[in-house]
Amino acid sequence: MKRFISLLLVSLLFLIPGTTIGAEKLILLSTQFNPVDELQYINEKVLAGFTKETGINVDFVPANYADFVNRLLAEAKTGKVVTNTIAELHGGFDYLASENVLEDLTNMPKLPKRTFLKTFANYSKIRGITAYVPWTQATFVVAINKEALKYLPAGLTQEDVLNGSIKWSYNALLKWAENLKKAKGAPMLGLPIAPGGLFHRFLHGYMYPSYTKTQAKAFAGQDAISLWKYLVKLNDYVHPASTTWSNMSEPLLKGEVLIGWDHTARLASALKTKPNDFVVAPAPVGPKGRGYILVIAGLGIPKNAPNKEDSWKLIEYLTRPSTQALILQGTGFFPTVKEASGEVTDPGLQVLSSGVTRQASASFGIPTLIPSLGGLGGEFNNIYRMAYERIVLRKEAPEKVLPELGKRLEEIFKEANVPLQ
Amino acid sequence: MKRFIPYLLCLPAIIYLAIFIGYPLIQAFVLAFTSRSGGISLENFRYILSSQGFKEAFLNTIIISGIVIPLQIILALLLSLFINSRFKGYTMLLYIISIPLALSEITAGLMGYSIFSSMGFLNKLLLTMGVTDKPIYFFGYAYKFREFIVIILSELWRSTSLVFVILLAGLQAIDREYTEAAEVDGATPWQKFSKITLPLLRPSLLSALLLRTTFAFQIFGNIWILVGRDIPVLAGEAYYWQTEIRNPNYASTYAIIIAAITIIFAFLYLRTLRSPHLES
Repeated sequence: MKRFISLLLVSLLFLIPGTTIGAEKLILLSTQFNPVDELQYINEKVLAGFTKETGINVDFVPANYADFVNRLLAEAKTGKVVTNTIAELHGGFDYLASENVLEDLTNMPKLPKRTFLKTFANYSKIRGITAYVPWTQATFVVAINKEALKYLPAGLTQEDVLNGSIKWSYNALLKWAENLKKAKGAPMLGLPIAPGGLFHRFLHGYMYPSYTKTQAKAFAGQDAISLWKYLVKLNDYVHPASTTWSNMSEPLLKGEVLIGWDHTARLASALKTKPNDFVVAPAPVGPKGRGYILVIAGLGIPKNAPNKEDSWKLIEYLTRPSTQALILQGTGFFPTVKEASGEVTDPGLQVLSSGVTRQASASFGIPTLIPSLGGLGGEFNNIYRMAYERIVLRKEAPEKVLPELGKRLEEIFKEANVPLQ
Repeated sequence: MKRFIPYLLCLPAIIYLAIFIGYPLIQAFVLAFTSRSGGISLENFRYILSSQGFKEAFLNTIIISGIVIPLQIILALLLSLFINSRFKGYTMLLYIISIPLALSEITAGLMGYSIFSSMGFLNKLLLTMGVTDKPIYFFGYAYKFREFIVIILSELWRSTSLVFVILLAGLQAIDREYTEAAEVDGATPWQKFSKITLPLLRPSLLSALLLRTTFAFQIFGNIWILVGRDIPVLAGEAYYWQTEIRNPNYASTYAIIIAAITIIFAFLYLRTLRSPHLES
């Protein structure tokens, strides 16, 4: 019996976390690349290269925003920092810098053979410190099947669309979508409206700045009402199954739609599969300009993190032009260094990449960042989705819906202690 | 020492249940009864129960269950009676009917989608046959009724086999002597079915109904894949609040409400469908 009990105790010992003896590892806590296929790619293709080169193992720990922030704050509070490196969006770094839990990277050794795009380098300086090293960028663009270019409305040329001229407006899109519906007998414009899709970004980051100049400040104003009236009209030409699509790649590939707006990472698979069938255009321009979202992910180091030198080695490796091109290849997230453009070889990604560059350089641009509202981010998204459901799908009057939802939107910003944007 | 051994043997299972079932359950209760400001209150329940989203989701769940479960029971009963007649080659059919048992909700949803989407098999077939000249839309907010039909068809196909297996097992457990005795007494086939088979099948029917009803209130994977939130259901709303809006308090509140409704239904079934003659 004694033997049985000791056996049981020994086996229990193995179950207690922390008793396993293993090699020293760097912990990379990341809110980015969390979907299974991306995670696998980062582990097997990207981080494996680092381990091979340096002999340092990296434990890539995926986390959602709330868990990410809670863990870092808890580690800082208890003084027991175990996370070595972090990967997050600009907004998250902004918040962490305000909590004073980030290492200032200003005096770290220079990263050789790379030139960070100026916009990103500027964004990475927050509250007097260099909060992160820009790692990847993404945005949302319009993917167009070349077939659709045959039905451009009068006065709008292919060059207007691709280069984002003033003629490439939301009204021109409406006319184009109307032409397509007439020609094809079915709506040919697709939007990722299903839950899991990023349609809310289209509303707060593209439509709102284009019509009101801001994302939330003029949520219920007169300009916003004309925005919603436009969306009601556009809905006649939006493929009805859009409310069940969370990703535009599939519908574009199957030819269910000829024009689709989505996140670059979510369009990548369509462009990689059929690079000759599609072109990528900047978002159209609205009465106030061309609203578009810039997504910047960076790499940083928590304050008082152990093994800072190894963390910096990892950051150096991950921001190399060749590594950034490798990441683009597998995930659809774009490099933040100039030298990487020469390393992109996939023709589909080249199409996408040129679209991203044209959007960033197109005139009348109003670049916006996703507001960093912490745990309230989901509710912020939901406000825009609810407005769409009520006004466009259920045909309620925007004059009634917007003030109701706008009130809660303002409260969200107040609760998150973030100025209304 | 010997008397502790049974407890020791149970210990791993108890630890497992306590960590993976007990702790999350307690956590769900704590979250559901914690208000936005952090205090204990019924605020979450007040908000959810009065929201339009909950009313729609509740109604949709009831409508889908109300249509799917009775149809499934009838279909499964007919199939199991048919298979139980043990005609030549019945085992082959038994395997075919049981195939959906091996499929997950998500797989069923994806299969449904590939059949009914605007570029799906059904539309391709109709277009090729010249029945229609443009695709028929089964999905989209504007086609909610069609979405309902697709959901019901897909659910019927996916989970009838579960009811079928339970009922077939029940039928096979019925002693043939009863029916043979009835035959000797000159009972008609309908009399045999209504007076012997059906009453003796009651425990199996109860199990099938209990299982299907509890599953019906948890249904969402299939619907989520097929129609997203066009047709909200209770479990789908819980998932939506947790993963998309990231409000674990409201998500837990939904979970507790689903559990409460399921328990009420289970209780009602147990009260009304018991077989006293079998239990005595």
